[in-house]
Amino acid sequence: MTRFVENSIVFPYKRSLGPVIGAFMTGLTEQRILGIRSGDQVIVPPLEWDPQTGAELDPDGMVEVGPAGTVESWTWVPAPSEQHPLGHPFAFAFIRLDGASTPLLHAVDTGAPDALRVGARVAPRWRGSRVGHIGDIIAFVPGEQPEVDGPDSGPAEAPVTMMDYNASITYRNPVPPVLDRLREASRDQRIIGQRCPVCERVYSGGRGYCPIDAVELGEEQDVDLPHTGTITNFTIVTPVQYPGQTETEPFARVFVLLDGTDVILPYQPVVELPVGEVRVGKRVAAAWAPPNDDIDDAGAMGGAYGHLIGWIPSGEPDVEDPDLVNRIF
Amino acid sequence: MVATNGPRTDIAVVGWAQTPMVRRTDLSETQLLLRVITAALEPLGLTRADIDFTCLGSCDYITGQAFSFVSNLDAIGAWPPKRDSHVEMDGAWALYEAWLRLQEGDIEIAVVTGSGRSSTGDPTLIYPMEMDPFYLAPLGADPLTFAALQARALIQAGITDERAMAEVAARSRRDARSNPDAQVKGDADIDTLLAGEYVRAPLRRHDLPPITDGAAAMVLATGDRARKLRERPAFITGFDHRTECHNPGYRDLTDSPSTRIAAEAAGLGTSPVEVAELQAAFTHEEILLRRVLDLGGEVAVNRSGGALASNPIMATGLARIGYAANHVFGGGKRALAHSTSGPCLQQNLVCILEEDA
Amino acid sequence: MSTEPAAIVGVGQTHHKSRRHDVSFGGLVREAAFRALDDAHMTFADIDAVVIGKAPDLFEGVMKPELYLSDALGAVGKPMFRVHTAGSVGGTTAIVAASHVQARKHERVLAVAFEKQSEGNAQFALGSGRGASLGAGGAFAPFIRAYIERSGAPEHIGWKVAVKDRQNALKNPYAHLRIPDISIEKVKESPMMWEPLRYLESCPSSDGACAVVLTNEAGGTAAAADGRPPAWIIGASSRSEPPSFPGRDPVRPAACVQAAWDVYEQAGITNPRQQIDMAELYVPFSWHEAIWLEGHDIAAAGEGWRMIDDDETALTGSFPVNASGGVLSSNPIGASGLLRFAEAANQVRGAAGEHQVAGAKVALAMAYGANSQYFSTWVVASSLQPFD
Repeated sequence: MTRFVENSIVFPYKRSLGPVIGAFMTGLTEQRILGIRSGDQVIVPPLEWDPQTGAELDPDGMVEVGPAGTVESWTWVPAPSEQHPLGHPFAFAFIRLDGASTPLLHAVDTGAPDALRVGARVAPRWRGSRVGHIGDIIAFVPGEQPEVDGPDSGPAEAPVTMMDYNASITYRNPVPPVLDRLREASRDQRIIGQRCPVCERVYSGGRGYCPIDAVELGEEQDVDLPHTGTITNFTIVTPVQYPGQTETEPFARVFVLLDGTDVILPYQPVVELPVGEVRVGKRVAAAWAPPNDDIDDAGAMGGAYGHLIGWIPSGEPDVEDPDLVNRIF
Repeated sequence: MVATNGPRTDIAVVGWAQTPMVRRTDLSETQLLLRVITAALEPLGLTRADIDFTCLGSCDYITGQAFSFVSNLDAIGAWPPKRDSHVEMDGAWALYEAWLRLQEGDIEIAVVTGSGRSSTGDPTLIYPMEMDPFYLAPLGADPLTFAALQARALIQAGITDERAMAEVAARSRRDARSNPDAQVKGDADIDTLLAGEYVRAPLRRHDLPPITDGAAAMVLATGDRARKLRERPAFITGFDHRTECHNPGYRDLTDSPSTRIAAEAAGLGTSPVEVAELQAAFTHEEILLRRVLDLGGEVAVNRSGGALASNPIMATGLARIGYAANHVFGGGKRALAHSTSGPCLQQNLVCILEEDA
Repeated sequence: MSTEPAAIVGVGQTHHKSRRHDVSFGGLVREAAFRALDDAHMTFADIDAVVIGKAPDLFEGVMKPELYLSDALGAVGKPMFRVHTAGSVGGTTAIVAASHVQARKHERVLAVAFEKQSEGNAQFALGSGRGASLGAGGAFAPFIRAYIERSGAPEHIGWKVAVKDRQNALKNPYAHLRIPDISIEKVKESPMMWEPLRYLESCPSSDGACAVVLTNEAGGTAAAADGRPPAWIIGASSRSEPPSFPGRDPVRPAACVQAAWDVYEQAGITNPRQQIDMAELYVPFSWHEAIWLEGHDIAAAGEGWRMIDDDETALTGSFPVNASGGVLSSNPIGASGLLRFAEAANQVRGAAGEHQVAGAKVALAMAYGANSQYFSTWVVASSLQPFD
């Protein structure tokens, strides 16, 4: 049975709008839809450039269009996604607003597909509270008259220059069998590496292939690795805050050369080792979570070490070897 | 627009391979590439050490991770380090870069790949992110919506109808029966297809491509080396790609001018092709492309089953070139391959493969 | 080689800042493109093909932005090509654009690279949205510790580079960081971010773009005849190596050394220290200057720091490095590589303004990416045979 891990990419992007898109968005808060002149055309929605030639368009050439327009083409969305403007079935349509040379794509809310046809007249249903976003128009509705949904909070107090874009995508990744095998082994406090049958290099972290010989490594290549080693190098990170950041205090990541091997475990956390005492040559031993603990997968990339939660000082004297620091990989 | 004296080095496709095309694989993208590169090289008696240049095509947003292509370096045998590049585009464009690079004449063999696992995310949530970030992405406007609007434009213009589109789907599935790598295949009754519900009117399920995980790898060689590596190399005699403005609202959706310009620059019109492999992920796209490329009834289009039979995003275009090369390998004279990117065929690439350089 | 010679005849860049809230995503890119076109005495109509590069799409949350930017860059009806090789991408963009000319496919190519970091957050994107992201500094700090231990360099070397590049930036009107009172004391007292790297030894996070117009021999010769000296590409290479394996050395990465010698061989360079007049090296953290001086065999192994200590890499030194202020002063990630390549071109064109290196005829530029895995390198010169 394949196991999956979910990983969501969620980020509130902040976009700057520049003169033309900014004016368009500001217009939306005023319940006005603006286009921009390019020769004898009026481009809607407006761009800073002519879409055919790339020529710079004059922001002073912005003109109001609509608010009503004609459906030029449409498609019915029977099962809207979470990103769509409406939670119930609707149409996406190309709407040629009165006075525009190009159609605007937006939602048309008619309840049922048979209420829609090419040539239908539609007008915007404005959100009562508008921020300067294409979603200030909830949807277009049949007819000539714009509507406002709920109490009208009026136009923006200042020109709109920025826009939020909240993207969220969830990925469901199958966990490669080698990672699951290593994870299970970690429950029994084993660290598994894999030996390439061609070059005999041993790889940690459940990579499942040798990058030198470009061969896959299966279960038959598994080897048990020792639980003690020496810190060869490290980094101490002062965390920067960002959405999803879990750290608040400086934290260490160390590189551990496992005893009697050529294997480095890179960027490992430490346990009961204050950042001030992390140094090259420090002797450490594996620290394990209790076998019954749930372990955090942190996605398919981070699950290889399983119950190995980090490295704890072993109390042995430091190793003095000037070459140690060069062992990063 | 093309330099007057033009590219000079003869370059040929000498082999290619693809992974099984499946709805979902448990293999990582790197593993897919490990296998498919080996599969492309082995029949030619080549190893990774023989590769002078690599160019990989993939997409972070398909994989769901920034810098996702970096671990794919593990698949190319880049030790000692390789001359290498990566495009955030279909492998067909990786091939284009390798084709340019081989023109420089100092190296002989290149490997290009395209890879993607579409099964891990929801395409309706991912693809709006390639749309205009101010006006379209925030509406969740996905390429499926735009495909439907383009299909309607073609129907309104009398260029096609829903039955003709269903016929494309049925023919693809029928042709795919003889393609062991195809994912969607079988016999389909047109009326049964037309009785299906709309996914996005006027598109029904059969008008859409499947979700596919897969990868393809292709080996290119310069003239003399190519002739030593295999009988009947498929020489690239024309190669071009062009783009259009992004927002489909600003375009005439009943036409594909970028395809026409690319085909002209690639020399399509100089002599007839016997087969064409078009990256038409939607049935109406095949009808439009056929029309724009002026392919008559005598040209066998998408005999592989095309993107409607298997659609490994970021490798779909490269596979088209592979199938076209197969035609030349197998005794054909001249074949056309096409790849595309963006909503409503925004960017189009045309590659002509021939038995003679 | 039977390739067509390629020349740079136009260079443009934006003013780089933490937040270019005054422009849109497309407006930022166009600002650089128009400056390059003006410099080349061209318009969009003269351009045959566009090559665009940037770092991960997650930085701005726009997937495959070459689609949205096709019309912004006047590419309608033309080829639009998108490169992505991690931090080296700007350099690779230049090399791929050059390839379009060298292969005789096109005569005039516009290369553009950009990043609008303020739309998102690089630390977030580098960790793909997960906690405890190391950031680039966390990933590279161990390499720097290894360099310091290996070479026995004193700790002030990193501070010196940090000061020198910020002083150079004061002569570059486009540079992001402008710290008039920059000093060794200021650097050494700045907070420790990724031990042993301090805040002022690290690159900023910038919004910015860079563009370059490349053309063929006829185009380059015509520009020269018009009194607009071109920069000729006399060597270019991109090399990559895998992320990690026992024995990999990120302090002297084999891909870096090989790319350098690919280029030297093409250019006819046997003694880089003597034959090259200046370099724009991708130095996001101060110590990388010493690391890359050695990686390009400009200094012997373990000796690169001495050139810094002796002020040889200062603007008035015998081998100036990052006269523009470098990545330490402006870092629109995807554009940072192209900025190196473009600044090197401007130096041999004599067009670098206040940060011009006197008499520069041959200049080296390099960029690198991922875990010191992707390397792009070129050498440009004021003539096609600068050593004759």
